[in-house]
Amino acid sequence: MAILSGLERASAGEVRVAGIDYALLDEDGLARARRGRIGIILQSFHLLPTMSAIENVAVPLELAGADDAFDRAAAELEAVGLGHRLHHYPAQLSGGEQQRVAIARAVAPRPEILFADEPTGNLDGGTSKAIIDLLFARQAANSATLVIITHDPALAERCNRIVEIRDGLIVAERRR
Amino acid sequence: MRPVFGWRGCWRIAWRDLHRGLRGLRLLVVCLFLGVATLATISSLTTAITGEIASKGQSLLGGDVEIAMAQREANAAEKSAFRRIGQLSETIRLRAMAQRTGSGDGPSAVLTEFKGVDHAYPLYGRLMLKSGPAGALKPGELVIGQALADRLALRPGQSLRYGEAQFRIRDIIADEPDRVGEGFTLGPVAITSLEGVRRTALVQPGSLYESKYRIRLPRGSNASAAVEALKRAFPAAGFEIKDRDRAAPGTSRFFERMGQFLSLIGLSALAIAGIGVGNGVTSYLAIKRNGIATLKILGASTSDISRIYLMQIGMVAALATACGLLVGAVLPFLLLSAVGDLLPVQPGFSLTAWPFVTSAAYGLLIAFIFILPPLAHARALPAAALFRETVDRRRVRDRTSIIAVGLAAFATAALAIGTAREPLFAASVLGAVGAILLILLGIGSLVRWLARRIKPPRAPLARLAIANLHRPGSQTPALVIALGLGLTLFVTLAAIQSSLSAEIRNTVPRTAPDQFVLDIPIAQKQQFRSLVAHEARGAEVNIVPTLRGTILAYGGTRVADLEEVPKDAWFLRGERGVTYSDTLPEGSDLVEGRWWPKDYAGPPLISLDREAAKVMDVRVGDTLTVSILGREIEARIASLRQVNWETMGFNYIMVLSPNSLRGAPHSLAATITMKPPKKAEGQLSRALLTAFPSISIIAVSEVVGQVTVLLGQMATAIVLAGSITILAGIAVLMGAIAASRHARAYDSVILKTLGATRWQILGSQAVEYLLLATILAGVALALGLSAAWFVIVQIFAFHWSPDWMLVAATLGSGAVLTLGIGLLGSIPLISVRPARALRSI
Repeated sequence: MAILSGLERASAGEVRVAGIDYALLDEDGLARARRGRIGIILQSFHLLPTMSAIENVAVPLELAGADDAFDRAAAELEAVGLGHRLHHYPAQLSGGEQQRVAIARAVAPRPEILFADEPTGNLDGGTSKAIIDLLFARQAANSATLVIITHDPALAERCNRIVEIRDGLIVAERRR
Repeated sequence: MRPVFGWRGCWRIAWRDLHRGLRGLRLLVVCLFLGVATLATISSLTTAITGEIASKGQSLLGGDVEIAMAQREANAAEKSAFRRIGQLSETIRLRAMAQRTGSGDGPSAVLTEFKGVDHAYPLYGRLMLKSGPAGALKPGELVIGQALADRLALRPGQSLRYGEAQFRIRDIIADEPDRVGEGFTLGPVAITSLEGVRRTALVQPGSLYESKYRIRLPRGSNASAAVEALKRAFPAAGFEIKDRDRAAPGTSRFFERMGQFLSLIGLSALAIAGIGVGNGVTSYLAIKRNGIATLKILGASTSDISRIYLMQIGMVAALATACGLLVGAVLPFLLLSAVGDLLPVQPGFSLTAWPFVTSAAYGLLIAFIFILPPLAHARALPAAALFRETVDRRRVRDRTSIIAVGLAAFATAALAIGTAREPLFAASVLGAVGAILLILLGIGSLVRWLARRIKPPRAPLARLAIANLHRPGSQTPALVIALGLGLTLFVTLAAIQSSLSAEIRNTVPRTAPDQFVLDIPIAQKQQFRSLVAHEARGAEVNIVPTLRGTILAYGGTRVADLEEVPKDAWFLRGERGVTYSDTLPEGSDLVEGRWWPKDYAGPPLISLDREAAKVMDVRVGDTLTVSILGREIEARIASLRQVNWETMGFNYIMVLSPNSLRGAPHSLAATITMKPPKKAEGQLSRALLTAFPSISIIAVSEVVGQVTVLLGQMATAIVLAGSITILAGIAVLMGAIAASRHARAYDSVILKTLGATRWQILGSQAVEYLLLATILAGVALALGLSAAWFVIVQIFAFHWSPDWMLVAATLGSGAVLTLGIGLLGSIPLISVRPARALRSI
């Protein structure tokens, strides 16, 4: 996922995502390539601790130059069920709420691709299910491609294409 | 909570953990090492110099006891009293023109310190010449200092004229044992026999010379008792008596004060660098956070955590302190061998324990003060909170640590003030530094408070910049101290330097005369005037009678009975210039009382400098007793004058009515102000010396040159002392960046993941520092100008005339420099690869 999202460089081979050749881009070029086009959801949420929920969601919109960043951020938080927690800071939110903010942040710029790295790895069973439902709902609402990295076969089964990787090699691929 | 592992177990864990390297503790090592090395160097250098002066008291003084008197030699009764105490040696010293007899390049005459010595000279030490010990000097022989040989291009064997006598130069002086004890000199030295000095006819009743009588006491005699006995035997003689323990009080005082001042600046710098130490420890413990949490989960108590990390950090601090002491032991001797010739004494290689004990104590105490708070924070936080501290930064107050830090701070201040020669001075310097730090800390907290309350801007990077100012664990107070201190010092140094330059540029050349001429025979006053008028057409000449006198009593107070001379009463120490006049002297304004009538013939009257009167607390109508040429004169104060010292004319504190000194033998002194172009200065000097061989000519340009060099050295010393503190400020800045490294790296990676470029992230940091620098520019201007004003006006008593453009430019460049350092420190943070960083955070 790190290579596909441009967070890490490939040591060999060619990487093309949404028509962009990553090999031609430097660090800042990769950042620009992600901007508004790729959304990332991480296992440990990784919110900016000094910013409130709405500010965290507005950052990628602002970086993409959106004038209505805060309105869209508020709407996205409303959509993930956090309309009443807009101005709370990460330390004031539960793990599930933090991951909802992370989903809203990733989805808000309406990216073409959404990457989710073990999105429920740090959450309990009940919260996990709610987060996954939310993730698929937001993906469908925005018509984005969702790529999930997971060890959970049940979660994988909800996807329409499953690629199995073992020790860095693709060992199986099937479509549903 | 009771310890689980015990000291030995804690030590094992601490040592094992330290094997992973000193990452995070490098800043602590650098700050402590630099601070302790600076303190130990200053301290051991000062101890070596003052120790040398104290141990060579006898040879520096030229005896166990010295009696000095101006414009006269001791009479028979006085000499026999001196001889009764011990072996006597006599010298006569005066400022006189050395004139080259042959032709040659360069000046033909130079003002020198001309000294005549008897056969017993020196009673201690040896007068060394280039060829070996001098032995007795014959009346026609002269030994000269290297500087005189250089100025007049002279070699041994050539001759030199003083007044009416000609001398053959025997050799060049290699070491004059009592040189330091002689005090301030205006020119290079030349030594002959007493008889040689008398042959010049320069020593006449009323001419400006000084006789010194040195006494070697029998072994085991008490020098201070001998001094007291002499003072009792000759209460009104106007002698200045010193013993071997005060051989060079001025020089010793200068080095002690300078050493103390530099030590205090060094200690302040170390205390400021301590903030860097604290930040270094914070960032080190941030790296170790997971380890600490794991240890707690495994059952380690808070005491175990304290012990493990206190031992670990303490060990590194002790190592840094030891390295600093090592440099402090070696550096003084490297410095002495490199620039030792500039010092009045050449201390040998010896190490005294005390400077190292105090420097080590300062280093460890400061380290303790700044290590404890972050350690207390790590120790007191629960394991879970430690694991998620990036988003959960709760405040922890640990009363034991607060008390321990308070005690250590008290011990540091007590050590600094208790060991100071002038505790009040030490306390005020430390107090001023503490006040500046508190002001900056207060401003830091205010900025944080304001940043939290203002409406955040919409732009994300500007919002992040403002959020960085108030975020939990933000380093705003440390950044404010670092930037504020740096900018304040830049302003202070610029204002001091430009004021000193203006002092030299504006005051001296515009108002000073071109030449001072001393020892003009009173009978030749008119010839002198005519010759000056002939050789330098249009030159202004001001001639005044000149004598030397000692104040014996003022009001009802006898100076000899004072336990301590009042502050600023420098004129009560030894002899001062005295004149008489029937009119108000040039360069003075009458501010109180009346000037005496032209032919006044009543009891002696005196006119005093207003400042001197204020210091002695005397008024018009009070009496002042002055000893002149051994005669005691009690005069009534008739008026007070405002003396304009900066005119550099003949400004006397005491002016007597002419009838008070009728019949007293004396000479005249003159100032000559040439009309531009001043080409005739050399020609005039030659003509005057030919006509009046006894006179001494002091060229003001040479004195101005000496003063310029002195002011330049002062400015250099101030800049050096300031640089130590600027270094400390940079250490704090680096520490603040290091301490917030983890949080900044986290933000930087998330922002990059969301699509921010490196320049955008760097821009956000620049906005943060720029906001701080803008706020601090005003504060720095106020604090820096106040400090500079205090140094220029209160300490040096100069005019306050800073170059505002230079101050503004320095402030601007200082801001750019500190911002540059801050941003340079941030570059590694924004270069972190996101994927790699995300795995570790």
